[in-house]
Amino acid sequence: MKMTATADFLKGLPCYNENNFTRFHSDASSKVSVKRPSVYLPTKEYPSEQIIVTEKTNILLRYLHQQWERKNKKRESANEVEEGGSAKKRPRLDTSV
Amino acid sequence: MAHNYVVTAHKQTAVTSCVTGNFTSSNDLNLIVAKNYRLEIYLVTPEGLRPLKEVGIYGKIAVMKLYKSGNDKKDSLFILTARYNAMILECSGEGENMEIITRTQGNVADKIGKPSETGIIAIIDPDCRVIGLRLYDGLLKIIPLEKDSSEIKAYNIRIEELCIQDIAFLYGCANPTVVIIHQDAHGRHVKTREISLRDKEFAKTSWKQDNVETEASMLLPVPEPYGGALIIGQESITYHNGQNYVTIAPPIIKQSTITCYGKVDPNGSRYLLGDLAGHLFMLVLEKEEKMDGTVTVRDIKIELLGEVSIPECLTYLDNGVVFIGSRFGDSQLVKLNVTPDENNSYVTVMETFTNLAPIVDMTIVDLDRQGQGQLVTCSGAYKEGSLRIIRNGIGIHEQASIDLPGIKGIWALKMGFSGNQSVDDSVVLSFVGQTRVLMLNGEEMEETEIPGLIADQQTFFCGNVGKDSVLQITTGSVRLISVNTKQKLSDWTPPDGKMLNVVACNHGQVLCAAGRDLYYLEMEDDTQVILKSHVTLDYEVACLDLTPISVTSQQNTSIAKAEVCAVGLWTDISARLLKLPTLEEFHKEPLGGEIIPRSILMALFEGTPYLLVALGDGSLFYFSMNPVTKLLGDRKKVTLGTQPTVLRPFRSQSTVNVFACSDRPTVIYSSNHKLVFSNVNLKEVAHMCPLNSEAYPDSLVLATDTAVTIGTIDEIQKLHIRTVPLGESPRRIAYQENTQTFGVITSRVDIVESSGLTPARQSASTQAQSVSSSSSLGSAIKAPVSTRDSCGSGGGAEIGQEIEVYNLLIVDQHSFAVLHAHQFMQNEYALSIVSTRLGDDVNPYYVVGTALVVPEESEPKQGRIVLFQWSDGKLTTVAEKEVKGACYSLVDFNAKILAAINNVVRLYEWTAEKELRLECSNFNHIIALYLKRKGDFILVGDLMRSITLLQYKTMEGSFEEMARDSNPNWMSAVEILDDDTFLGAENSFNLFVCQKDSAATTEEERQQLTEVGRFHLGDMVNVFRHGSLVMDHAAETLSTPTQGCVLFGTVHGAIGVVTQLPTEFYHFLSEVQTRMARVIKPVGKIEHSFWRSFATERKVEPCEGFIDGDLIESFLDLSSDKMKEVANGLQMDDGSGMKREATVEDIIKLIEDLTRIH
Repeated sequence: MKMTATADFLKGLPCYNENNFTRFHSDASSKVSVKRPSVYLPTKEYPSEQIIVTEKTNILLRYLHQQWERKNKKRESANEVEEGGSAKKRPRLDTSV
Repeated sequence: MAHNYVVTAHKQTAVTSCVTGNFTSSNDLNLIVAKNYRLEIYLVTPEGLRPLKEVGIYGKIAVMKLYKSGNDKKDSLFILTARYNAMILECSGEGENMEIITRTQGNVADKIGKPSETGIIAIIDPDCRVIGLRLYDGLLKIIPLEKDSSEIKAYNIRIEELCIQDIAFLYGCANPTVVIIHQDAHGRHVKTREISLRDKEFAKTSWKQDNVETEASMLLPVPEPYGGALIIGQESITYHNGQNYVTIAPPIIKQSTITCYGKVDPNGSRYLLGDLAGHLFMLVLEKEEKMDGTVTVRDIKIELLGEVSIPECLTYLDNGVVFIGSRFGDSQLVKLNVTPDENNSYVTVMETFTNLAPIVDMTIVDLDRQGQGQLVTCSGAYKEGSLRIIRNGIGIHEQASIDLPGIKGIWALKMGFSGNQSVDDSVVLSFVGQTRVLMLNGEEMEETEIPGLIADQQTFFCGNVGKDSVLQITTGSVRLISVNTKQKLSDWTPPDGKMLNVVACNHGQVLCAAGRDLYYLEMEDDTQVILKSHVTLDYEVACLDLTPISVTSQQNTSIAKAEVCAVGLWTDISARLLKLPTLEEFHKEPLGGEIIPRSILMALFEGTPYLLVALGDGSLFYFSMNPVTKLLGDRKKVTLGTQPTVLRPFRSQSTVNVFACSDRPTVIYSSNHKLVFSNVNLKEVAHMCPLNSEAYPDSLVLATDTAVTIGTIDEIQKLHIRTVPLGESPRRIAYQENTQTFGVITSRVDIVESSGLTPARQSASTQAQSVSSSSSLGSAIKAPVSTRDSCGSGGGAEIGQEIEVYNLLIVDQHSFAVLHAHQFMQNEYALSIVSTRLGDDVNPYYVVGTALVVPEESEPKQGRIVLFQWSDGKLTTVAEKEVKGACYSLVDFNAKILAAINNVVRLYEWTAEKELRLECSNFNHIIALYLKRKGDFILVGDLMRSITLLQYKTMEGSFEEMARDSNPNWMSAVEILDDDTFLGAENSFNLFVCQKDSAATTEEERQQLTEVGRFHLGDMVNVFRHGSLVMDHAAETLSTPTQGCVLFGTVHGAIGVVTQLPTEFYHFLSEVQTRMARVIKPVGKIEHSFWRSFATERKVEPCEGFIDGDLIESFLDLSSDKMKEVANGLQMDDGSGMKREATVEDIIKLIEDLTRIH
């Protein structure tokens, strides 16, 4: 029973080119591969299309900037509502935070 | 100043990563294998894997991934190196015009950040929007994959989970979403995080699962339609996709730890899993289709397929064939079968790829006593453990031998004695004044007579020609004999009673010379030879050849006709080429000197025709021949031996090779379109012919002054490796010449059972011819485990636990059979071995240093030094000495024993009472791991305090610290180069050289070892040994003045050479190196100087005092215009102290000679 179960596991294995490995031949005595690829020596210059650079911004600064922008946005929208409010109250609000 | 040359003699073989995809073209299925800092690109073909290219990367490859983005038909290759160079590579062109193009590159290192302990992880979003890099704790670096911009801005996002085990991108998410396994104080948890590319932040957690298995270590993202991920643990496998999950805990996976996987089906329904014990599993997701048409995972099934090499990585190729990449053993190509074999395995090994890694220890011995070292390495680990015997050159394995002195020539014939005319069945032997025939009858040889053959003259040539004739050439005639009737068919005699003295022949053409007269004959109708032309040359003929070398006729030399012949002449010492059939001279090459050419041969190597001319002094000229005009070019000279050399062609694995018979026999073959001269493990060969008989297929017949030998030849390759599997981990090796044995320390894994220890599997120590063991009862010390067990403290091993058991194996040097295994005590680790004589004692001993390892102790407090004697097939324990710590290293020291024990270096002397007695000690180390000695000097390699030089003061009987390197290097191996120069290897894959300055004015300066050489090797050196893989004589004939030779073995299975250079030559090579670094445009655009700079976590310093031999020697593979570019304007010393401009030929000669030191 177990045998058939596992056999099912192995049925229909993917095939991209049905000829691959069909003519595989190895000496019964030696299965050790001695074939080695030749060494690629690049001497042609290809200009690199893209360069990866790391963003210099400090992760904390970026976070603070983002928060600041969000706050500003909120505040701007808030300001629009409270347009008539006194300007003198604002620093007080800030220092109390 | 230190001037060193470091070069790889055998490239790394450990596979660190492998991927499959369409890299070289959209129709090509490629396997790409990473071996530390090299890539190997293969093509999957009907015949199997075809190697395409090896690509060097200037950095250790930490991650390699293939991906196909958007509408691309071809895959791109993403690589990240250990020093954080990222690159995206593409392939263009085909065959020899293939180019690897670096499309995107950059360094992604951060200035600050703690490198993660779980290593570098790189993941690619399945929709190819971003690449994620986990390099440092608490950060995930995102590389957006934007195709069109010229600059990609990578950025870090903060990740709250500090200790991440694994991370992966999930399939089918609107925004890139990662799934992570992380660990905190409570255990391990799985969590998903969606990345907001706009805010450069994690957006939200879509699902999570707290408290998964405590050993969960690997995530497999599952493609659509399932989605989600598989969580692989030590005992369980869970599938989770946020909505539902399935967990299984099959007993078959508990025995070991699953470390790698490969997706089988593109839809992710099947996966291959590999574990540390070498089990290969198939995992299947069973689907359930819901009413609404969606599919979910209903169940997970896992089945053991069989055993393979312990996998580091694996990848499914095609039609049930899988590549298994291994670090510990040979990598494999395996086939999965639907029906199991007799061992219930569904796996058949198709091909194996030799791997020496990790080289843990090695020794150099001259087993054949040919003046050439062989390397015996402790390679591999666990079930893949083995000894490997590595020899430079080609081995002849003797099959049969007859004593027959005075042979002047040998030829194999097909006479059809057994009715089979397709194989050789007789050998013609030529002597002064007579010719004899040996008939091969199976393995037997008996003398026979062929009536048509002249037996009372010396034969110059004999061989099958035409369909069924044999041609024999003697002094007086050229005669044809019928194979069928064995009678003479016809003959030709030179005019005017001239005596022939030099001849050459192929299947239908004959060339013979009598003095200055040269006759060209052709065979007609298979029954007669007809004189076609005759010339009288300027001087007497010394040697002749008419091998057909038309490039097109390579496949079928039996019918090809030679259009040119080669002649070597006396007196003016020249090689000449004549046209056939006219014998009209069209090329003359004066050889110079006064030594006459003795053998001339045209040969086609890898499609390129060459002319080889061997002289009477054992030197050889070789030229390339223009395939069309047949004119000679690229004149080169090498020294093969010291005696007249005879060149004979033969075929091996359907390629042409040439056997140079001389006092130092050599096989000449072509590799990578360069001629390679490989020595053979025979003392002397006078004549040779290939033989292919029924009993001796693909063999060679070799005649020496006294005997004829039939033997088979190794596969033609430069380094030949023989494997002796042990099935357990070899740790240390020592050679004992007197007993012709090796002492090998091994460790195997035993499992604690209620009845005691049981080996996990059969291996060398369990299958030895005889066994013995160290018992704690009879020993000077008590094994701590036994005392603890008796106390009932509960610290003893639990049932089912795996325990390492150490053995000393005595291995025969010829058969490599394990003669004896001596098992050490439980918890006793054998750490070092040396073979030596002690005091006035004449017996050689194996001395083994051990440590008793108690898990609770921070470092071992007890150990032993044990003396063993191997004689008359018995191993006796001669003496033992208790020491207070682990004996990491042992060295013989003027008939005494030097030992490194924890933080102390101690010297023991051997007393008349056969006891070891402590003579003196040196403290001041953290842990003294490695010892080397030269004279009275001792070099100590410390765990973290670099190297220290000690001197033993004979009069005082004490050590004195001479000098010390104050750099904090964590050592992995040390070696003494000369009295003042010391070589070290440290654990960030660097080499360094320190010098002692005895002439310094102040005491303080004298006590300081100055670092004068630095080099990034990119691999961890485990062992240095003085010695060489090439013949002693080889170095003498070279033009390059290298001094000394140290071999090293590495974790990734490379063997390298470090040798010292004179200042002048160093500066010359340094200039060549700079120019080479300019001419070679590295893949990934990492600078050569960056790659070779000495780099540790603490500092980066430029490379100094070392020449990168791998870069220098790649000069020989450059095209000729690039060679010119390197040579242009380069100044060299012409030997007289005058500088002159170096030519390409000068540099080729120098570098070719450099390649011959390894």
